[in-house]
Amino acid sequence: MNGPNDRQDEPQAAAPGSPGMTRRGFIRKSAVAAAGAAAVAAALSPLRNISPDHIPTLEQLLQKHYKEMTPEEMKAVLERISREVEKRYAVRPQVADIKPMTGVEFVYALNISRCIGCRRCVHACVKENNQSRSPEIQYIRVLKMEKGSIDVETSDHHYDPPTVPEHESYYMPVQCHQCANPPCVKVCPVEATWQEPDGITVIDYDWCIGCRYCEAACPYWARRFNFAEPGLTAEELNPNMAYLSNRPRAVGVMEKCTYCLHRTRVGRMPACVEACPTGSRKFGNVLDPKSEIAYILRHKRVFVLKQEVGTLPRFFYYFDERGSRYHEPLDPAVSGGDA
Amino acid sequence: MRRYFTFLWQCLRMSFVGDWRYYAWMSVLTVFALLGLHAWCRQLVGGLATTGMTDQVSWGVYIANFTYLVGLAAAAAMLVIPVYIYRNMHLHDVVIFGELLAVAVIIMCLLFVTVDLGRPDRSLHLIQRFNFPGSMLTWDVIALNGYLLLNLHICGYLIYCAYCERKPSRAFYVPFVFIAIVWAVSIHTVTAFLYVGLGGRPFWNSAIIAPRFLASAFAAGPAFIILTLQIVRRYTSYRVGDEALLTLRRIVQVAALINLFLLGCELFTEFYSDSAHTASSRYLYLGLHGRNALVPWIWTAIAFNTVATLLLVLPSSRGLKVLNVACVLAIVGIWIEKGMGLIVPAFIPTPLGEIVEYVPTINEVLVSLGIWAFGLLLYTVFVRMSVPVLSGELTYRRLYGPSRQDNNRSQAETAA
Amino acid sequence: MAGLLLADPWQEAVPIPPKTDVPVWATDTTPVRHPTLKPETVIAGMTFRCSECHDLFPSPPETDRALTQHRHIVLDHGINARCFNCHNRQDRNAFADDRGDPIPFDQPPVLCAKCHGPVYRDWTHDVHGRTDGYWNDSLGSRRRLKCVECHDPHAPAFQAMRPARGPNTLRMGDQTHHPAGTEKTKNPLLIYRQTPSGRDVTHERPE
Repeated sequence: MNGPNDRQDEPQAAAPGSPGMTRRGFIRKSAVAAAGAAAVAAALSPLRNISPDHIPTLEQLLQKHYKEMTPEEMKAVLERISREVEKRYAVRPQVADIKPMTGVEFVYALNISRCIGCRRCVHACVKENNQSRSPEIQYIRVLKMEKGSIDVETSDHHYDPPTVPEHESYYMPVQCHQCANPPCVKVCPVEATWQEPDGITVIDYDWCIGCRYCEAACPYWARRFNFAEPGLTAEELNPNMAYLSNRPRAVGVMEKCTYCLHRTRVGRMPACVEACPTGSRKFGNVLDPKSEIAYILRHKRVFVLKQEVGTLPRFFYYFDERGSRYHEPLDPAVSGGDA
Repeated sequence: MRRYFTFLWQCLRMSFVGDWRYYAWMSVLTVFALLGLHAWCRQLVGGLATTGMTDQVSWGVYIANFTYLVGLAAAAAMLVIPVYIYRNMHLHDVVIFGELLAVAVIIMCLLFVTVDLGRPDRSLHLIQRFNFPGSMLTWDVIALNGYLLLNLHICGYLIYCAYCERKPSRAFYVPFVFIAIVWAVSIHTVTAFLYVGLGGRPFWNSAIIAPRFLASAFAAGPAFIILTLQIVRRYTSYRVGDEALLTLRRIVQVAALINLFLLGCELFTEFYSDSAHTASSRYLYLGLHGRNALVPWIWTAIAFNTVATLLLVLPSSRGLKVLNVACVLAIVGIWIEKGMGLIVPAFIPTPLGEIVEYVPTINEVLVSLGIWAFGLLLYTVFVRMSVPVLSGELTYRRLYGPSRQDNNRSQAETAA
Repeated sequence: MAGLLLADPWQEAVPIPPKTDVPVWATDTTPVRHPTLKPETVIAGMTFRCSECHDLFPSPPETDRALTQHRHIVLDHGINARCFNCHNRQDRNAFADDRGDPIPFDQPPVLCAKCHGPVYRDWTHDVHGRTDGYWNDSLGSRRRLKCVECHDPHAPAFQAMRPARGPNTLRMGDQTHHPAGTEKTKNPLLIYRQTPSGRDVTHERPE
């Protein structure tokens, strides 16, 4: 900047009422201004690398909140999303806005006697929900817990033994619990996340401003943020999408488990339930007394994580028999009684 | 009306006029501000992955600085209390600098929040669907913007009246001053409640956070003003009395003592009870499972705060050299304690027990420095503008001759 | 200044971990076993129905001797060590119920229910083991897996399997399990395994 050196020979506090500036003064001032403008332009230069996808179109800027959109507007938005996905991945998706079924409230149960910690649920979820592969986003985190402790601080998330289950451990996968008293919904400043009538807490990805307050508020660390542009290839894309669940997200918005609402709202099981080899995961409509989830809540020793936080999760853990601990040595039966 | 535009224009012109030290200072600040802008543009292109934040530690340096600066803004208006409630006239002439600092700092806070957003292009969504009164962030938006407007009005009105050589009408600013006092306390309380209200983060879910915020803010804010007033005294002709500095010293002294006491309360609560909820405190003060990146920082902050408090209690801090050292120590110590010592440890360990440490990236640091530089630039400009006006050197009459209103008034006076 | 900014000398690459492919078996949802559910066996490449041999050769009353045929079968079924607890002595193409009457070979759950009552009860309600299909039967079909699709009837313990890889998220740092250091364990069950100095000896199992 050639500003500071130039000023020394000029009178201080040039009286503004004095007759116009000298030609030298004018050239000097405009040189300074030009240098300043060049510096500002150079400061803004990284923006030249911005990809056109990142620049919101007028259509996107004017798009309304999910709850305010009319069916025609929603149709236009779904069309736009289909077009964008097709342009990017060369795969024609089916993007729908699937409404919740009436008389349905989804609850999940997980049998920690049977869970062996194989993490197939984690990867099935990733495959189903079009998450970013690099950087990696996984909605489900499997905790290897120490026997004797329910405190998650004693957990290990990065276990990698040759086989599971391991000695003296039990496994607790954690994902979004779709709480009935959700702290994330409470804290969102723009109402980009809310709870639907069937119990699923959803996010409008086109409304979220990315403040990450919900991520700080969740006691189960269930919400994820797109810090970078999601890295997803066409082969990995799941074309069966819904507006509120697994359509590809953009950088800078939150996402999380939605109990695969694009599947469950048409009667199917979430991907994690289908993948579990031991059948530890159970899902269904708790309002139907004949469902397996209602049976579990009636007959099994169910509990929730971090109950003291008052979130009322719709995700129960339970244990029944010795289950996955059969690999551990048993005390041999002691003779006695009638023998 | 024309007067108002000339006022603005003259203020703008004044900000480009000064001696070589002024230019050097402004140039350095401009360089950093441009570096920050450049880094932010890089962040806009690459997403927040250019920062060191992760899903595990999802708030970092930006929110840390935001928290600290909200405190600074609140405390700047605390100069007002001695003058308007306790009628302590030593501070009367320097209140305006506190209010100007509040304006510059609030703008910095808003900038920090903006750079922290993942989708700043969607900021208008805040107006379209506002989750008030449920979300504390909406309370914060109202509080911060309201405070900015309040202070802009008060400062603008007072300085403009001085420019017009008109006695300011009490009705136009005194009620706002009183509102600003209450509002200042509330902006920092609301910011504290942002954190306190989260049951899933036991490190934050404690009633002591809001009082600690206020105590540390009232220590750091006036300390900052003590330093800036000395600069004003040195480089301009504005008269800043020693009594003003000593009154401010008293405020910082009491606030620093309360801050240390509250720190002691927190340390006792966490370490005596030793429940599982104290994992974050353990990470911060002692390290957890071999991870101890923040331990040296927090102990440095505690050392700084303790030394600053001790110095302030000693009568030797009436002397400016010791006072300045104490102020700098307090400012830096409280910055570390509120930023790294409050925001980051709440995320470690995560609610599921994972430990991922946080290190800000160069980009992130540059953006933060850029915003600080921009804020200091604004404050320097404000001071540069207001000192000549308030001391009567720069008035409309001097520059343009008496206005029509002045003539009318003097005619009315002679007629009476 | 402009030149410096344009030149961008402090480019910092974002350390996005490269994508590691997830192996196919990690998302394969087919059941772990594929039993034929037919009373057949393969000897020397030829398939025989059970009755073809067993009608010819009478079996001794008890089987507490080493098997001469079917030696590949490892019997590890807990205290259920008697072949005729399950297999029908008179008709090898079927299983035996409580009274010795035949249970068809393609209905193993009825057999397992003889001893594993509570599990069977859960299984009939789709609570034990996986149920494939729709949660809402009016919208689609369901299929409950049969016992032997997960459990080898002779060694029914569910086989340990290789876990899929763990998380590798952005900037997660070094996540190798850190030793507890000087901290005492928070696990109430393990406190009796700490030495007086506070060292956690949990993982040093005395053998």
